[in-house]
Amino acid sequence: MSVREFAMPDLGEGLTESELVSWEVAVGDTVELNQVIAEVETAKALVQLPSPWAGTVARLLVQPGVVVRVGSPIVAIEVSDAAGAPRTEPPARNAVLVGYGPPIEESSHPQRRARGALLERETPVAPVSVAPAPVEDAAAAPAESPRATDMPHGPQAERPMSTPPVRKLAADLGVRLELVSGTGERGMITRDDVLRAGAPAEASAVPPVLQNAAQTGPDETRVPISGVRRRTAEAMVASAFTAPQATVFLTVDVTPTVELLDTVRARARDGARPGILAVVAKALCIAVARTPEINARWDEAAGVIVQWRTVNLGIAAATERGLIVPNVPRANELSLDRLALALAELSATARAGTTTPTALRGGTITISNVGVFGVDAGTPILVPGEAAILALGAVARRPWEHNGEIALRSVLTLSLSFDHRVVDGQQAATFLADIGAILAAPGIVLTMV
Amino acid sequence: MTELTLAKAINLGLRRALESDDRVLLIGEDIGKLGGVFRVTDGLQADFGVRRVIDAPLAESAIIGTAVGLAFRGFRPVCEIQFDGFIYPGFDQIVAQVAKLHYRTSGNVRVPITIRVPFGGGIGAVEHHSESPEAYFTHTSGLRVVSCSNPQDAYAMVRQAIASDDPVLFFEPKRRYWATGEVDENAVAPPLGSAHIVREGSDVTLVAYGPLVTTARDAALAALDDGTSIEVIDLRSLSPVDFDTVEASVRKTGRLVVAHEAQHFGGVGAEVAASITERCFFHLEAPPVRVTGFDTPYPAAKLERHFLPDLDRILDAVDRVMGRTNSLSSLEVTA
Amino acid sequence: MLRSLDQLDDLTTAVTAPDALLQLLPPDGNRVAHPDLDPWVADIDGAALAALYDDLSVIRRLDTEATALQRQGELGLWPPLLGQEAAQVGSARALRRDDFVFTSYRENGVAYCRGVAIADLMPVWRGTALSGWNPYDVGMATPAVIIGAQTLHATGYALGCAIDGVDSVSVAYFGDGATSQGDVAEAMVYAASFHVPVIFFCQNNHWAISEPVGLQTKRPIADRAPAYGIPSLRVDGNDVLAVMAAMRIALDRARTGGGPTFIEAVTYRMGPHTTSDDPGRYVDPVERAEWAAKDPIDRLERHLDSLGLLTDALRESVAKSTDAAAAELRRACLALPEPAPLTVFDNVYAEPHSGLERQRREYSAYLSMFEGGAS
Repeated sequence: MSVREFAMPDLGEGLTESELVSWEVAVGDTVELNQVIAEVETAKALVQLPSPWAGTVARLLVQPGVVVRVGSPIVAIEVSDAAGAPRTEPPARNAVLVGYGPPIEESSHPQRRARGALLERETPVAPVSVAPAPVEDAAAAPAESPRATDMPHGPQAERPMSTPPVRKLAADLGVRLELVSGTGERGMITRDDVLRAGAPAEASAVPPVLQNAAQTGPDETRVPISGVRRRTAEAMVASAFTAPQATVFLTVDVTPTVELLDTVRARARDGARPGILAVVAKALCIAVARTPEINARWDEAAGVIVQWRTVNLGIAAATERGLIVPNVPRANELSLDRLALALAELSATARAGTTTPTALRGGTITISNVGVFGVDAGTPILVPGEAAILALGAVARRPWEHNGEIALRSVLTLSLSFDHRVVDGQQAATFLADIGAILAAPGIVLTMV
Repeated sequence: MTELTLAKAINLGLRRALESDDRVLLIGEDIGKLGGVFRVTDGLQADFGVRRVIDAPLAESAIIGTAVGLAFRGFRPVCEIQFDGFIYPGFDQIVAQVAKLHYRTSGNVRVPITIRVPFGGGIGAVEHHSESPEAYFTHTSGLRVVSCSNPQDAYAMVRQAIASDDPVLFFEPKRRYWATGEVDENAVAPPLGSAHIVREGSDVTLVAYGPLVTTARDAALAALDDGTSIEVIDLRSLSPVDFDTVEASVRKTGRLVVAHEAQHFGGVGAEVAASITERCFFHLEAPPVRVTGFDTPYPAAKLERHFLPDLDRILDAVDRVMGRTNSLSSLEVTA
Repeated sequence: MLRSLDQLDDLTTAVTAPDALLQLLPPDGNRVAHPDLDPWVADIDGAALAALYDDLSVIRRLDTEATALQRQGELGLWPPLLGQEAAQVGSARALRRDDFVFTSYRENGVAYCRGVAIADLMPVWRGTALSGWNPYDVGMATPAVIIGAQTLHATGYALGCAIDGVDSVSVAYFGDGATSQGDVAEAMVYAASFHVPVIFFCQNNHWAISEPVGLQTKRPIADRAPAYGIPSLRVDGNDVLAVMAAMRIALDRARTGGGPTFIEAVTYRMGPHTTSDDPGRYVDPVERAEWAAKDPIDRLERHLDSLGLLTDALRESVAKSTDAAAAELRRACLALPEPAPLTVFDNVYAEPHSGLERQRREYSAYLSMFEGGAS
């Protein structure tokens, strides 16, 4: 014996409530299965409710005239036979034309189902292997049947595993993933793996030379080859052995420029202090516009010479950790003041050791100011990926031809190395001559822009 | 071993099917006396009679629905829908009945129906005769969907499709009907659901099916000129897709390009790209790229060469996954 | 152009003009003669009439019980056949075991007559399965939910019979609404063209949910088939004898190479479209009352009575039948087990499908994550 409660059913078209009009039975009455026990009113019609069980009416839960929500109990019946054995009541639903209808949502806070212990992977999966599997395996396995494990096996090697952001980092640092061993799950190459393999931690303030203890023999000092130095060396080797380089020289009487600098500085804005380097940089940008072939690179893989429309001007900078070449992006769009400010900023960050990887990327042509070391000229080595590099010597007072006589003048030597695949001698010479002409007589710019 | 056109290879496959199982019958418009508008059923009614090669009244829904009734009776009907663009009147019978009957009847009723459909463009046709509707059917569970690209596969796969106890949508690349190739009736056929590596390579995995397999192969040959090694995979089966073969290839190359004539959004290429990204994320050097028809209705004949992926568009996509300058370089935001 | 509802109602009346119907047993229960039909039911003696009375009563009771089960939340829905018992019993009892039937979702009376176990009527409406029985066990396909699709299947089956050279017949059951569907037109084209042994049995119960038959047709439905080259019969669908006679005529024609027949059985849907429908919104109570007076079981009772056959013994026997049937229906409904979760992947294909196998594996892993395991 058990008391069951019968809830108000949905009587059509998703009604949410009905009025209980009248009871056809009273408490204590015996009812048969499907016997009509009540009349309820829907929007239009009077509907008879058949009893779902045979038994005795235990309680009438609703007064006649009351509007009842679908799903609310209306009558309790003491069920007399085994067919009414206790069962879990299905949750009330608003029936629709074609089925049970959507379940009535509980208004409590949504919650996840309780989960048991999450199963770990049953068999540890081997890290990415480059060993070939027997050829028979690949041929025999029918394509239809699922593989036993998630790892495919085949006779060919696989790419090193990594994520796109880490791949990008590796590309930026020039790290080859095939040579890195991954410490991540399933042999994945992680960001740390790449950083370890490539540049040392940028945050480290200790110069790498001091990081690695120098071993000292009797007549020699052995300094381990560190990240930056190694990278620089690799770049130079790559440059030297890929691009055929030639150098042209031009010595210029820059006295007019030197004399102009005072005026220029007086007129400078935003605290800029243009010097010879800024002027040379400006002159270079103007000259690039006249010989655009110099601002380019040889792309062997794609089979093209890429000629850039903007000048991202690299400035070779010597730092404690070694030689780096940060660049001023779109230098050709900068005024002399802004150029001077950018150059000053660039050298300040380089000295502080805080140059970002972004600043080191994307250069198109470079100036190497060897003059600060007191030398006249040099044969600079191209930065890989560029077609020209201009070395700037020291400004020295020298006897020079001036107005038909010998006079002491401020003299400067420019040295231009260029990639002879991209630039021919005439172009290089023209380019260099333009820069020289501007430095010799700045007013000549009026004919060049 | 004989050299046959793709159309004749299918004809031979149908002939062998009719010979080997007398429950096989063909039904479609103009397949009897005329031998089909592409002559794929040429000569079959003459040899097998009007009860086995049935010219149907002009009603695609009825072609399919009648085949369902025949399947109930234990036949193996092979329906022909005359052109891809005419499959839609029969769409309801295909997705609501053919696809669901086995499931609905808990496996009691088998539906060994093959629905042959010439598909794809490149034949300079008027509207509705150049469609690629395969994605509607790969999206419908209960159907198998395949597409042959060459005469050998055309012969073997049509026989396998007919022999399968499942319903099969058999898409025939109509612009390749006249392409010739060796057909060896005794060759052991690979499973119907398997993909085929058409040519091996190491730099890029190029996946195609149906009419574009030839184009993909041509692209791979042309790419040798700039030193790029492309592995070409003929998917062959679009439901199920042999992801294992594609996965193994992309784990090797790290780059995926998928090409199909069908429209871009929600095409088979989207499924392949998503699934391979899930499976090969940590091996990918570049995001997968799809080379497809535009998201427009199939255009007029004079414009179709822009709509259809060709060798150059495929190689442009290859450039993209190789990280080289490509048609989209100037459009991309620089990082 | 839209017609007003008044005009539709007029038309509805016009297409069901009683004098256009074949009839043997009018509502008053007094048998009338019809020279074309009489020979076909000459064998229906007292015992056979009693058996038909039992069938009609059981089917009505099953229908009532299923409706109650839905009201009690045990079935998702039920499409009542109240009022259509004679159309279904009269036609289905004429069939042979080797005939094959393709029906809509309302033909539970036909299913009962084909030998579908009462328990097997429940799974589809309870939602535990998409079909309740193996079609080949009883010669009846799973009821079609897509309106009219089954007419093509029946035609194809009949084509198969013709090719096989057997005299089995296939029958398509559908309603008045279905006759607007293209598939039904196409089926008649194919049936006539191929001259196959199929019977198109249309129960014109006057309603397609809330749309009256006058919206589907401007002429009697039976008039359509001759335009396709298919002979048709228009019969009083509440007259079990006339229905049986018409069906037997059509069967004989089909079995002897005469091709297809169209039967329109004119009846009335006395209940709602399905249990959640509200016919009070669109059915004219006067019209319904008129049809209540034409009830198929009442007239047979009167007829039995007029023959002195409506004995207490018969009443008791029928009461036992109906009670037992109802009890079995209820028992079977409540006893249906919940399907196991992974069975959702069963029987999609006859042969293994790699993509689906992978999904099944993944979902199995997902389920095993929960406390209490897969449920």
